[in-house]
Parts: sequence; C-alpha cells; structure tokens
Amino acid sequence: MRYFRIVLRKLAWAVFTVVFVICLNFFLFRVLPGDPARAGIRDPRLTRQAIEAIQVRFGLDKPVINCVESLNPFTPGDCLINPLQTQFFIYVSNLLRGELGISYHSNRPVATILREQLWNTILLIGVAQVLAIVLGMTLGIAAAWKARTPIDYLALLGSLMAWSLPTFWLGIILLFWGSTSLGLPTAGKSTPGANYATLWQQWADLGRHLILPTLTYTIVFLGEYMLIMRSAVLDVLSEDYILTAKAKGLSTFQILKDHALQNAMLPMVTIIALNLGFTVAGAIQIESVFSWPGLGKAIFDAVGRRDYPVLQGAFLLIAVAVILANLIADLFYSYLDPRVQTE
Amino acid sequence: MKLKQYLALCLLIFLLVACGGRDSGDGGVVLNVGWAGSPDTLNLGVAVLTEAYTIAELVYESMYQLNLDGTYTLEVADTVLLSDDGLVYTYKIRNGITFHDGEPLTARDVAFSYRLYQEQEGYPFLSIYTYYFDTIEAPDDSTLVLTLTEPIPNIESQLLFLYILPEHIWSEVDPVEYENTEMIGSGPFKMKEYRQNQFVHLEAVKNHHLQSPKIDGVIFRTYDNQDALVQALRTGQVDMITEMPNTAVATLRNDSNIEVVVGPPLAPSVTDIIFNQVLPENCPPDDGVCTGHPALLDRTVRLALSHATDKQQIIDVVLLGLGAPGLTLIPDSLGVFYNDSLVDYAYDPALANRLLDEAGYLDTNGDGVREMPDGSRPLTLRMNWPSDSTSAPRMAELLNSMWGAVGVRTELQALDPDALTAICCPSFDFDVILWGWGSDPDPGFLLSVMLTDEIPTGNSETGYSNPAYDALYRQQAVELDKNKRIELIWEMQRIVFEDVVYIIPYYAQETQAYRVDRFTGWRTDGDKVALEDPSSLLVIEPVK
Repeated sequence: MRYFRIVLRKLAWAVFTVVFVICLNFFLFRVLPGDPARAGIRDPRLTRQAIEAIQVRFGLDKPVINCVESLNPFTPGDCLINPLQTQFFIYVSNLLRGELGISYHSNRPVATILREQLWNTILLIGVAQVLAIVLGMTLGIAAAWKARTPIDYLALLGSLMAWSLPTFWLGIILLFWGSTSLGLPTAGKSTPGANYATLWQQWADLGRHLILPTLTYTIVFLGEYMLIMRSAVLDVLSEDYILTAKAKGLSTFQILKDHALQNAMLPMVTIIALNLGFTVAGAIQIESVFSWPGLGKAIFDAVGRRDYPVLQGAFLLIAVAVILANLIADLFYSYLDPRVQTE
Repeated sequence: MKLKQYLALCLLIFLLVACGGRDSGDGGVVLNVGWAGSPDTLNLGVAVLTEAYTIAELVYESMYQLNLDGTYTLEVADTVLLSDDGLVYTYKIRNGITFHDGEPLTARDVAFSYRLYQEQEGYPFLSIYTYYFDTIEAPDDSTLVLTLTEPIPNIESQLLFLYILPEHIWSEVDPVEYENTEMIGSGPFKMKEYRQNQFVHLEAVKNHHLQSPKIDGVIFRTYDNQDALVQALRTGQVDMITEMPNTAVATLRNDSNIEVVVGPPLAPSVTDIIFNQVLPENCPPDDGVCTGHPALLDRTVRLALSHATDKQQIIDVVLLGLGAPGLTLIPDSLGVFYNDSLVDYAYDPALANRLLDEAGYLDTNGDGVREMPDGSRPLTLRMNWPSDSTSAPRMAELLNSMWGAVGVRTELQALDPDALTAICCPSFDFDVILWGWGSDPDPGFLLSVMLTDEIPTGNSETGYSNPAYDALYRQQAVELDKNKRIELIWEMQRIVFEDVVYIIPYYAQETQAYRVDRFTGWRTDGDKVALEDPSSLLVIEPVK
C-alpha cells in the first residue's frame, strides 16, 4: 500500500512536469529572435504580401497569447481578445487532439517526421548503449576485482582516453578507416536503390550501416560506464560483509554475483536511466558525421530554420522520455534499495 | 557464457563486413551522386532550397530549357510566335508528350499550371515569375496563348522555373499542403523512391520525346558531413559529388581516378562589399536612419579603397584560390550579359595613399588614421557581415589590415542576419557591409538593385542614385532585340564600375568532381559547371 502511494505521488509529479514543459516549450522558441516566415531566405523579391500569406498559413499572424502580440521583439497586445484566437491556445488544443502541426520547412506533419527519425535514433543509440553498458560494466567489474594490477591500469587508461576523445573527431577517423580498409558505407542507414532478395540481405545492409556509428558511440560511452562501475564495485568490496563472505570460503564469482553487484548497481541505475532518457535526443555529432537520419540532426536543423512545430514536438518528446526514464529509475531504485521506500 | 556471446557478436560483425560488397541490385546502370543537401519539399510551389529545383529540372519540363552557355531552347513547345506589340506569345505544344503516369501533356496542363502559379497565394516565389502575366488561354490541346501586361525582354527566364504539372493530379489536391512525393512530371527522369534527408532515387524514362538518358537511373544521396562526402567519392561509394570543401580540392586532384571540375556555378552568385552612399535627399522618409560615413559619398575614397584591396589575396585566403576577381554586381556566370571588357582597378596601396592625400584626407594628429578634409571626424568605418557566413570573417580581417595600411580604420562586427537586414536597408544605418546575392539566369534583378527607385524598398543596399543608369535600366527592360539589350546592360556595368558603387572581391566558383573509372561523357566544356544538370545526366554512359 505504501509502495502504491509512492508510485502515485511520483506519477503525479511526472504529469505535472510534462504540463510545465509543454508551456515552457511554446514560449521558449518564440523568445528567439528571427521570423520563421523569413528564416533561411534572403530573397528580397519575397513581397510583403507573400510573407503575410506564409504567416497566415502557419498561424503566425495571430497574437501569441492574450495581452502579448509577439515575444521578440516584445509587443504588448489586446488583453480582451478571444483566447481561442491565440497561438498558445491553438497549440495546446491541437496537442490535446494529438496533432503536433506541420513543419514550416518541409511542409510535412511533425508527427510523421518525428516518428521516422525516432526509430532511427532508438535503433542506433539503443544498440550502442546496450553495447556500452554491457562492455563497460564487465570491464569495470574486472578492473575492480583486479584492482592495482596491470589489467586495472590498462582498463583505466583506456576508459579515460575513450571518455575524453572528441566524438566528432573519433567519428571521422573511424569513418575514414572503416570505409577505406573494410569497405563500410559512409552514410545513411541503407543502400539507396538496393533490391533485397531476402530479409536477411536487408538486415545485413542495415547492420553494415550501423557498424561505424555504433562503434563510435560505444567507445565514447564505454569509458563512463566502466569508471563508475569500477569505483562502485571497489566501494562495496571494501565493506566488512565482503570480508566475511571471503572468510566463509565463497568463490570470487559468488561474492561478486550474490553480494557485491546488487549494491554496486545503484549508481549505475541512475546514470543508465539518465542516459537512456536522453537517447531520443540522439547524438547530433555522430548523426551528422555518418548522415544518420535521426532526431538529433532534425532538431539541430530545425533550430536554424526557426521551425517551431518540429522544435516543440521534438522537445516534448525528449522531455517525456527523460521524465519517463527518471520515473522508471526512481521506481527501480526503491526496488533495489529498500531503504528508499521507507524514507 | 559472456565470452561466447562476445565471440558470437564478433562473428556477426565480421559476417556483416565480409558479406557486404556493393549491392548492385537489378536496377541497371545507376549513377550515384553525393551532395550535402536535400530538397526541403517536392512541392515546388512552397520549396525554397535549390536542391528541390535540381530534382525538378530532371523530373519536370517547362516551356524553355537553359543551356550551359546561358542561351535557351524550347522544351515542351515546337514553335513560338510573338505579336508585333510584344505582348502575345503563342506556343505550339509538341504532340505525343506524356506524363510519367501515361496521361498526355497538353496545352491545357500548361495553362492550368501557369494559372496555379499566378493565383496561388501560398506560392511566394513562383508567383514572382507571373508578374507580367495578363491572360493565359488554351484554345485547343496544342496551343497556348500567353498575354502579358507589358512587353518584356526575358520571357524565357520568366517561364524557366514554371514547371508543367499534370492538371488531372493537381486539380484534385490542395496545392499548398500536397507533398507531391510521386512527383509526376514529363521530364527525362521519373521519381522512383524519395526519403527526405536521405536520398532521391530517379529512374530514366526510356523513349522520352526529346532525349532519353543513356543510364538507367540516378540516386542523389545526402551527406551531412562534407569530409564524409569526399571520402564517399574516394572509396567509390558515389560516382560524382556536386560540392566539396575547397580544402579537399588539392587531395582529390592527386587521385588518378578522380577528375575535379572548377568553374562558374549554374546558379549565379556574387559576393559584395557594400558602401553606404545614400545622399541625404534620398534618405527614405519612413524607414531611413542614414548614418553612413560622409567620406563614402566621395567617389575618390571608394576608388582609393578599391586600389587598397588585394582581391587575389582575399581569393587565396578565403577561397583557397577557387574564385575569380569580381568587377560589378553582374557575375561571370551570367554568360553573355557579363561585361568582361572592363579592366579592374589594380591593387596599388601607394596609389590609394596618393589619391587620399590629394583629396585632403590627411592624418593630421598622427594616430595612423586619416581625418576628413575639414578635420571633423576620422576615417573610421563600421564593417558588418552576417554571422552565419563562414567566409566573411576572414575577409573582414584581411580588409581591416589592407585598408588600415592606407590609413582607413575599420571596426569589425558580425551581426545576426535579421539584425543586419535591420541596419542595412532601407534604414542605411551602416558604413560597410560584406554580403552577397544569388540571381536568376537573367541579370534584370541584379541590375535593379542599383536603381534610385529601389532605395526606399530595401532592395538597394548602397543607396546609389544615378539618373543616367536609371534611364538605361528602363531602356533595357523593354528592348526586345537580344543584342541591343546586351549592349545596354554592358554600358550599365561600365557606369557602376566607374562610380565604384561596390567593391566586388570575387565571384566564387563551383567545384565538383567525378570518378573517371565509372561514367564518361560529362559536359565539362560549357561556360558553367553543373554535372547534375540534364546536359550531363542525359549523355553520360558507363565506362566500358
């Protein structure tokens, strides 16, 4: 019952945060200078009427909200207008109907764009995160168990280097090496125009495109996981009950598996949850080096074009993902550590 | 356990690497093109990016096609008749043209398309080209009668981008919201598969009414990273690239399998150094602030700054040598309209110093900066450029030291493009701006930028005003004789060159490259470089 109440309270907070983010998202982008009807176009032949037509089409001719005509430059407006005629109200009511709007730039529904990019991003970052977590944790445990031996020093040095490598640089180097000596593809997630005879061929093609970006991402994140895991395990191994376990004559594997790991997992759960939440945000640098059609790249482009609908949709998606991941981590945490429940 | 899993993973990766190779598929001979962009939308009415037009040029047809030398030939029409008053054009549409879905293309489709471009308010750019249209009639399936409101000398460039759409599709859809992913046209290539921001796959139209491609298809692949684009060409993953960073040119030239092509771009563009020279009496009454430095009103000062500007050094530093020194706002890529008889002001700092000395701009207080002849203020100029430009900051640094050497100080500041527009025009709240223009194949628009009438509209960035120039502009705008019009346009360039309205540091050049071991027949002998143009894609064939 108490656990149920905790879950309920955390859920309520999550919903509240999402509502807050929805409102913040709307105003955040409108504070930016620049007119979406003109962004990216410096064509003086664009007549005043044409610009007005674009503004009407995107609903930008309406006041932002009651009393505010526009946010940048700040122009006060009529307070007594019908709130149904403000950009904010239209945005919120569309959102409630599940509509994210039409991209100013590509003239396509934002939901369609985000759905395509989201799966690409989840595929790339998901695979890479799993690899990085598994490899990082294994290395971390090994290094902690063999602390202050050459294995430990080697793993430590490697992880520190991997963590501090500039992502962009590493990506380019791997791209040059992989495309020259292994013949791996340089861009995208599939070979355009390819006719696949079997499903296996299609998967193989996707796999080939995944190798280099995944490798880059794994290397960059591996170090972080390894270092945190190592210090967490080292912490636990210094506890008295481990000494007791050793004294009882348990094997190394048993001590790690049954006594050390669950406690050492706590910091890992936090960091994994945080990273997984941001997974949907993509990895702008890796996506642009390997021309991977993901969310990070889409957001980056949308900022430059003042493409409000795409930005609002993407930020909402990221916020929901981060909040959800944190919620899950919270709940999982109280499962792993009973002390959290009682507090 | 774990070890086995790793081994399995390693095996999987090895298999993926090993079993790959190039998927040739059964799509026949397909050209792979790498580029850094992607069409924003395939609905041309709302498209902004040039990539959308590159694809349209292959998939659609229009009344005229533009050749690499700047001349035009009829495309969907056999013949054209012009009435004596220069207002009525009667086109005979060719027989036997079909759209990609098999429906015939008739004069009614042409009329429908032109009306759509003219009337659709949501088409901000294409409606510009219908500005002179009065009525559009299709009395029968093969005749199109276009009546203008006034005679114009450049009907070809007006109709060039008004692609002919199938009425049976476009009359059924909302012309603004329609995504047009099937892109049914009548051009030599048809849309096979389109993935936004990933690739555009076009298939050749065999037995096309004008000319069928020798290849079976072309794929435009988007590379978000320019180094990856170059690497894709070097490893043979693409056969041609339409752009590259100038830093890659030297490396690619050393590769025996790759040919680099450099020359004027298909879409004319120009980089300019703008002097605020608006006279107090021309200051726009509504929006004008007009705070330009008074010295810039003096032609001698502008001339001296021209002599103090080492264009070749700017080209070498900013473009790594890949540019041509500029003369006026009309770039070399405008072909016959470009006045190449003008002789540029030589880089000669000594001459610049002498000109300024003689005109009375002396450094009286010995601080290294000259003052106005009446001693009222120093020759300190504000210099601004758009913050999204990568070349302007370097150019600004160079100008700062070049002009500093003749006693003219510059205060450098990058500005957000919106902020720059706000100080530029029509407010004229600046001294010097580094900016540029893109242009149609017709010089009409670029010439209009220097008109007195354009000062209050914001199109004139210099505030230049010369009645003789204005008169010549009006004359060329109604001159229907091509050669006479060119003569007038050359004269206009001479006038603005002698008045030193701008300093044009360079015309940037297009750099493209292709693999010599894949396809042959690329058109590299034209006046412009455009390997992605139909002029190349229709004639190339695979290397035997």
